[in-house]
Amino acid sequence: MVKQITIISGKGGTGKTTIASSFIKMAHDHIAVDADVDAANLHILLNLTTIKKEDLIGGAVAVVNQTCINCGKCEELCRFDAISGSTSDIKIDTLKCEGCGVCQYICPAGAIELKKDKQGEFYTSDTQFCKLIHARLNPAAENSGLLVTMVRSIAEDIAYAENKKLIIIDGAPGIGCPVIASLNGVDFALIVTEPTLSGISDFKKIYKVAGFFNIKTFVCINKHDINDKNTEAIEKFCASNNIQVIGKIAYDENVPKVLAAKNYIIDYTDSPAAKDIIQLYFRLEKFLYE
Amino acid sequence: MIISVASGKGGTGKTTVAVSFALAARYCQFIDYDVEAPNADIFLKPDIKNIKKVSIKQPYFLTDTGNDFSKCAEFCHYNAIAVIGSEVIFYPELCHGCGGCLLVGPEGAVREKDVVVGEVAKGFTTPGIDFLKGNLIPGSMRTTTLQNELEKMLNKSGLVIIDAPPGNSCSMVMSVKNSDYCILVTEPTPYGFNDLLISMEVLEGLKVPYGVIINRDGVGDSAIEDYCTERNIRVHLKIPNDIEIAKIYSQGGTLLDYDSSYGEKFGIILKVIERISIGEADNHN
Amino acid sequence: MKGKTVKICITSTGTSLDSNVDPRFGRCPYFIIYDTDTDTFEAINNASRQAMGGAGIQAGQLIASKNVSAVITGNFGPNAFRVLQTAGIKTYSRVSGTVKDAIEKYRNSQLTETSAPDVTSHYGVGRSN
Repeated sequence: MVKQITIISGKGGTGKTTIASSFIKMAHDHIAVDADVDAANLHILLNLTTIKKEDLIGGAVAVVNQTCINCGKCEELCRFDAISGSTSDIKIDTLKCEGCGVCQYICPAGAIELKKDKQGEFYTSDTQFCKLIHARLNPAAENSGLLVTMVRSIAEDIAYAENKKLIIIDGAPGIGCPVIASLNGVDFALIVTEPTLSGISDFKKIYKVAGFFNIKTFVCINKHDINDKNTEAIEKFCASNNIQVIGKIAYDENVPKVLAAKNYIIDYTDSPAAKDIIQLYFRLEKFLYE
Repeated sequence: MIISVASGKGGTGKTTVAVSFALAARYCQFIDYDVEAPNADIFLKPDIKNIKKVSIKQPYFLTDTGNDFSKCAEFCHYNAIAVIGSEVIFYPELCHGCGGCLLVGPEGAVREKDVVVGEVAKGFTTPGIDFLKGNLIPGSMRTTTLQNELEKMLNKSGLVIIDAPPGNSCSMVMSVKNSDYCILVTEPTPYGFNDLLISMEVLEGLKVPYGVIINRDGVGDSAIEDYCTERNIRVHLKIPNDIEIAKIYSQGGTLLDYDSSYGEKFGIILKVIERISIGEADNHN
Repeated sequence: MKGKTVKICITSTGTSLDSNVDPRFGRCPYFIIYDTDTDTFEAINNASRQAMGGAGIQAGQLIASKNVSAVITGNFGPNAFRVLQTAGIKTYSRVSGTVKDAIEKYRNSQLTETSAPDVTSHYGVGRSN
């Protein structure tokens, strides 16, 4: 059976992608997925050759045509505040429309249709380490949850066909739809947090979300030495909730410098963060390939 | 005037910047639109006076009436309802609360109840910051329901500072679309640069004028600054990379606690943005 | 006319009996509906694969409407499992190998019925295996 691990954080910028790209370099028999589809970064370090490109069609939205009789029924029933001016000059806010179909159903003139549009593209690429499934959401598009689901489905198809053992998923920040889509059905979650008050607040939320899925959850504290008191607080919280703090990574100015040069931090084995990330990987590996 | 603070990449310092603007302005409405991970209150420490629960309506089905509910399952675009013979299975996590099943189902046999998806908190920070935040319940996916609620409370008569969520999709657009100006906070790494370019594309599509603040200046390279110079995009400020800032931030301190001259610096940026928005200044370097 | 259902459903990676059993129920590429009486089958494209959420729920209702008596797959998510249980369809999971082998095992009563969903998430959101 192929195992899946998702790297999440709640708060953005805690180091998810740095850790994911390190894991991708160290792991074997694996496939990588970039599930942070509206700000994907995993492809930047990896040398890509895209072998397959597909369109994401999704997110039906209501479209009104000229047969509208300005009766106003649709606006009255829309629960998402997506329709305005329905008794004079109707406008549908595609950003707010959730494609529920109520307006289409109620329209006596048959003036409303649900239309699906291209929301982005998803790609299967070869890299020097493994295949990467990634995507690009059209700027301002909706449905990153659907796109996450699609990239994961493709990764699973390939994993089954090629007998892979592990899927590494780089998740999105936040706790909403794309994050939930990246957690559903995985075996492990690695929460990357930082010892800041914001980091802790968001960590507690994402921990709750992961808890709903009953996934084996590990915690990694990045930049643990910028605030020892907060690091202790996280460790205490984890201990009382029975979550394993599987690694702590030191604050290390080499991380952004190495990244700027488009290199991997784990290749700089003298740097403190590299040592910590490598150790983190080996501690996790025991579970990943069990 | 509405000024939003956004960034494609997370953790580049949106909240740090938005809070600095509010403290520099002294009198403004501050709205934390990052309802999935709202953190501005950690730094602004508002006295929360009013918490309002936000809910959506979800259906329940009176199956003992012997009615056929299969139309409800057929209609539901979110697959939240399954009907097998006389049994109805409802999946609340999938329901958006559109009310469609109520319309198409047997009359009187589909009812609705309120389901809380989060809350909106209101308060004040002395001296004059009117604070507002949305807070999504973990497990809920109704991010936009909360943002809609915040939008209704926008006070357009004065200065509004909006702290947007990371990313470049729906929830980010919801936060920046009403603004007169958007500040994109980035960091000089390839990740920051990549996501900044997408955010710029979003704002150009929305026709919202924007400028850039580079945080952690010095950690990476000058690619972003060079790009902005080349394209005549205004870089309002560069905040140096200093572990002291990270340490102060970790305890809930602000940029003004690190160096009080940032109050003045952000005050000047506010004036510049005001002049740009009334057409008195050009929006470039 | 036959009195009882002799059709079974196998989740499949392809459209032939030599295809492998796909481990997912809601998001498998194809369903093979096999008639154990006449030894004929049809392959149905799984449209639920593209669903934003509730793929297992949609697929479960589709399969229930096909009048099958059993479903064979790798894993059932909780949502799909509930639909199939309600419809009185027997569920067999943790099955791998080719579709043909799975049918043989089923005929020889070598499969054990599943009594609980394999994936413990209680979310139908975004995905449902």
